[in-house]
Amino acid sequence: MPVAIGSRELFTLDGQGVLLEGTYHRPRNLMNCAPVRGKSGRVGVLFVNTLFLPRTGTGDAAVYWAESFADRGYHAFRMDLPGLGDSDAPLNTALLDFINAGGYGAIASAKVKELAARFDLDGVVIVGQCAGGITALHAAAASETCKGVVLLDPYFFLPQQLKKSKAWKRLVRWAASSAVGGALSKTYDRMKDIQLSLRGKRPPGNANFALLRRWSEVAAKGLPVILFKAPGRKSPGTKPRVGEFDYIQHLLNLSDRKNQVEIQLIESTDHSFANRAGRSAIRDHVQHWLEVHFPLPRSIESIAVTSEVVVTVNEMDYGNHAECL
Amino acid sequence: MQYQLESDLSEQADYFEVPGAHLYTVLHAVADPVARVLLVGPFASERQNSYGPWVRWARYLADRQIEVLRYDYRGIGESTGVFEEMTFTDWHEDLRLLSNWLNDRSPNLPILLHGLEVGALLAAKVFESGNGDALLMWSPTPTANVALRSTLLRWVGLEQLLRYSEERKTAGDYIRKLEGGSPVEVEGYQWSPKLWRESFDFELPPGMDDEKLATLKYERPVKISILSADAAPLAKKGIVGGGDEIKDLSWLYSDNYDWINGALAIPAGRT
Repeated sequence: MPVAIGSRELFTLDGQGVLLEGTYHRPRNLMNCAPVRGKSGRVGVLFVNTLFLPRTGTGDAAVYWAESFADRGYHAFRMDLPGLGDSDAPLNTALLDFINAGGYGAIASAKVKELAARFDLDGVVIVGQCAGGITALHAAAASETCKGVVLLDPYFFLPQQLKKSKAWKRLVRWAASSAVGGALSKTYDRMKDIQLSLRGKRPPGNANFALLRRWSEVAAKGLPVILFKAPGRKSPGTKPRVGEFDYIQHLLNLSDRKNQVEIQLIESTDHSFANRAGRSAIRDHVQHWLEVHFPLPRSIESIAVTSEVVVTVNEMDYGNHAECL
Repeated sequence: MQYQLESDLSEQADYFEVPGAHLYTVLHAVADPVARVLLVGPFASERQNSYGPWVRWARYLADRQIEVLRYDYRGIGESTGVFEEMTFTDWHEDLRLLSNWLNDRSPNLPILLHGLEVGALLAAKVFESGNGDALLMWSPTPTANVALRSTLLRWVGLEQLLRYSEERKTAGDYIRKLEGGSPVEVEGYQWSPKLWRESFDFELPPGMDDEKLATLKYERPVKISILSADAAPLAKKGIVGGGDEIKDLSWLYSDNYDWINGALAIPAGRT
């Protein structure tokens, strides 16, 4: 007997001897009746963990998005990967390295298949934020069940794992908060930029090349992918900070013209997209994107709550939208 | 990486009904338990940062035949409810209901209330009213406001690093906004002016800031541990994301488990 209240149901996936805990948000049209298991182009939306966070995400934003998509008629799921949230696994103290190497890709891919079988889905769209985007891409590349990918501000380089000294941290804070520090920081950025320009269009040595290959594979499969970028300090639009490699442009170069890749910049938010501006923008964009690529049967659509639709910019239009660049 | 479970413990996730909402609960059930512990976690955004070590602490205890119940506050995490409508009084009442439920499961077993930061405040209040056979507080604050302020300061520090100087706001700016009657958003949670006002008066019960005095006054064992930076992310320590999230805290678990054993007079050889 599933544990359920209103639109939510708790589930455990136990295939391959690996127990993963999760929450299912039933589509609004199924809330007041037993889940319908008939096929009707059923696509589920699955959220995977953001780095070490539980499946609720920053500020419970993943709960908000899952409920919103369920309100629109989509089956939405949030699942804890092994060792995260409520899913048990031996302690992994090198979690970031593990994720960056695509460590969760295989199990996530297997569990996507299991999820689809369990809830009678035709396919699954995987949503990952930050490090979760890495898992989403690795899983999508390995999975036949994955039908689309939503990436929230992922990174395509391998962060240095050096333990920064207190003096270094103080220096960074000073550079961020003083005029002199700011000027020195700009000079440092320009020097890096010169160094970068000498490399041409090749990614730097610390690029996550395995992840870039997964991106190419996913794009080549023709899976719809939407990537959201949050504004960063010194990195307006989708352009990176001066002196940093332009991974977004590189990703577009890796994708051919037949692919279904979209890039979106969300203003007035931060990397987590958890504030009101960020979460509502992600909700609107992804809902629209889902409706374009995975339209619901009309009967379900008519029940779903109406909301303002925001038009997204697709890759074909990319060059015409300077504000996105 | 192998994903074989470290134990075959039974973890039962469920929803517990409270007025107007359902609390998400996880019962770490054990066969033939020797005691029970009710874990009361930290506030709002601190939950997500400390979730991993908090769950591992529950498993550590369950592995030693102590049944553990942990839960999410109303309006936070997996629990339903609207965060911005919540007050500390609501969360206090929810804890009282949960505590009664746990006590009714097997009234003959001793029960420990254990809270972290704001959770310690809540646990202390329920303990004061007569629930629980012992109380363990990790980093309790004298008032809920002190906990809110430290969360705000940590968040503002991070915000300042990410913004240009002209866009930066100080903690004082946000506090003035709250005191002026406007909500403030902190790490995705909308703090209401009502919550902020109430936080000043939501304080540790009398005598609860000294474990010896508290033990005498309430005639049940009380322990207070101020967690050091080594215990991050259970202890607040600067910016989250610096690699502190996944680490072995068995030294902390072990020390506190020893105290629990003595406080609840668990017979030797039972665990």
